[in-house]
Amino acid sequence: MKSFKLTLGAVLLCFMTLGLSSFALAVDSIKIGNILPLSGPSAAVGQQGKQAREMAVEEINNAGGIKSLGGAKLEMLYADSKSDPNVGVTEAERFINTEKVKVLTGCWNSGVTYPTSAVAERYGIPFIVPVSVRDTITERGFKNVFRIAAKDSWWARDQFAFLKDMSKEFGTELKTVAMVYENGDWGTGLAAQWKKLIENSGYKIVLDEPYPSSATDLTPVVNKIRRARPDILLLTSNAADAILLTNTMANYKVRPKVILGTGGGHADPTFLSGTGDNAQYIFDIVEWETDINKPGVKEINEKYKAKYGNNLTGEAVDAYVSVYVLADALERAGSTDADKVRSALAKTNLKTGPAAIVSYDAIEFDETGQNKFASPVIVQVNNLGKGLERITIWPKSARRAGYTPVFPIPKK
Amino acid sequence: MDFAFLLQDIISGILMGSIYGLIALGLTLVFGVLKVINFAHGSFLMVGMYASYWAVSLTGLHPYVALCIVVPVMFYFGYFLQNFLIKPIFVAEKDVREPTTVIIVTTGVWYMLDNMALLIFGPGYRALTPNPLKGQMLEFGDIFISVPKLYGFLIAIATALLLYLFLQKTRTGRAIRATSLDRDAASLMGINQWKIFNIAFGIGTAIAGISGVVLTPFYNVYPTVGVPFDVKSFVIVVLGGLGSIPGAIIGGIIIGLIESVGPVYMTSTWTEAIVYMLFLLVLFVKPSGLFGQKYDW
Repeated sequence: MKSFKLTLGAVLLCFMTLGLSSFALAVDSIKIGNILPLSGPSAAVGQQGKQAREMAVEEINNAGGIKSLGGAKLEMLYADSKSDPNVGVTEAERFINTEKVKVLTGCWNSGVTYPTSAVAERYGIPFIVPVSVRDTITERGFKNVFRIAAKDSWWARDQFAFLKDMSKEFGTELKTVAMVYENGDWGTGLAAQWKKLIENSGYKIVLDEPYPSSATDLTPVVNKIRRARPDILLLTSNAADAILLTNTMANYKVRPKVILGTGGGHADPTFLSGTGDNAQYIFDIVEWETDINKPGVKEINEKYKAKYGNNLTGEAVDAYVSVYVLADALERAGSTDADKVRSALAKTNLKTGPAAIVSYDAIEFDETGQNKFASPVIVQVNNLGKGLERITIWPKSARRAGYTPVFPIPKK
Repeated sequence: MDFAFLLQDIISGILMGSIYGLIALGLTLVFGVLKVINFAHGSFLMVGMYASYWAVSLTGLHPYVALCIVVPVMFYFGYFLQNFLIKPIFVAEKDVREPTTVIIVTTGVWYMLDNMALLIFGPGYRALTPNPLKGQMLEFGDIFISVPKLYGFLIAIATALLLYLFLQKTRTGRAIRATSLDRDAASLMGINQWKIFNIAFGIGTAIAGISGVVLTPFYNVYPTVGVPFDVKSFVIVVLGGLGSIPGAIIGGIIIGLIESVGPVYMTSTWTEAIVYMLFLLVLFVKPSGLFGQKYDW
């Protein structure tokens, strides 16, 4: 709270100086309200989002700001949601009424974004959602909400697109699917999406097995997979059970043609150290990886790492990109009027520049405000002589240069 | 249903179940003697796993040779923990047979140990290295037997047997039994009640240490690893009968079999429910458990 007050004080001071000098320079700043979980359980991702935004703003302002507005600078205001929906809503009201922000962004937690974006909609203020995956955020017929990241259901969609693309690319026939997932909200939600997709894509379900994430022994589940002999094994696991499953499967020599995780436990930084070689060749879906083969990825990641000490994450990339999307829209709008900014955002079609570090080809919003092109990437765990690492393989346009995926997973 | 597969599930269930039983053995002993519900038992298991992990990682010992280090270390850890943390409560609440404050103390110890592990070792999952047992399986056609679990089974049976002989045949063992039956009468007979409490608690903790050594070759070590095992131990102890040694082992094997054979006929989520339903059923029908004494003095 103290640091928040300090920031607020500093921002006010800046504003006053800017106000005094505005006559001379005729350049105003454009206020953007950012609501993020800067403390509390999701503080780590909140901070990543803040850092990435700051880096993007610095780059844009140093390059001369928004030229169509006489070089106006972007000015970021931050509010800490503490992952609390009520705080998110109050802060949005404050930003709009007191601070007179032109645009809002946030809030990482789907639960906070959902009600907070409704406030923006009511006031007619554009709201850019870098990351918050809940489907319904862009499915309420709102005009002012624009989401950069893929939505929840698209993760499952892309897992199946990946399976189809890969079996075509490598000429592998895949027929049967086993679904093994933790029995929480996340796992069962995904399984429901999978089922729909399996029906549509002509695969056959041979196993549908939810398990408790707190299980101390997953041998029974592994034995069921062994008996079902699936071509494809779809997994949704938390960290401890992802490790346990992977190791037990290796012990029982269960090796379907494709083992495909859904981020979460499989993407946990400790997954590889907990499984070692047992994790080799498995596939996993994730928002973004640092080895994506797109121009600028390496440079931007290195700059970020030098500044903040760690690699860009999916969260940070979407936050970074969202600032460029906004700058692009302001440039085209030539105005800070909410309606004009909104219609400029709706006409976004970004393919180049720093925003192109996303894994997919372009950023363009559909009529619901969802980025049509948004899609996660799929990685394969493999050892290229420097220990196990996660290598981007799908979509093909983002595949790491020089890497040929091992598909299907070889029998030992 | 293929018979080989059913046999596979039965074998896996017995092996894993015996290890659950081993973990529950420490809990049942502490309860039998001190009448203390030790909520920190899972954390002791976690400490045992880290101790075993470090003993093997730093010295390159064979995972089971680490027992020589882990068992005495854990024994004295439990011995002094009881002496300095739990004994004062027994002294303060002399007139109460089962002081509830002790539950709060053991819960405190649980939180403290788990968070200390988090602070010192971080939240990461650690796999034992070097690990000569990693992924070792015996194969008989379609039937696979995990070697580290087989050793775990043998160690569990040996531990239970040794504990039984110790309690039956030695002087200290008889003193422990006497204290568990009636601590005041035992005191009058010249048994130092506090020392017996220390020893019993030490043995209970050492058994958690043995379980840790048994688990580490096929399980990852992390700060909260004890929690799911702790919960399972309570179910087993109630099922087998509070304070009963064969009850703990057989209760463990029953739970292991439910978990292993159950999923053949239903999804794995249901077996967990069945375990808890069984727990409730035992509490209603035979609260003393399968091997518990009907009359608790």
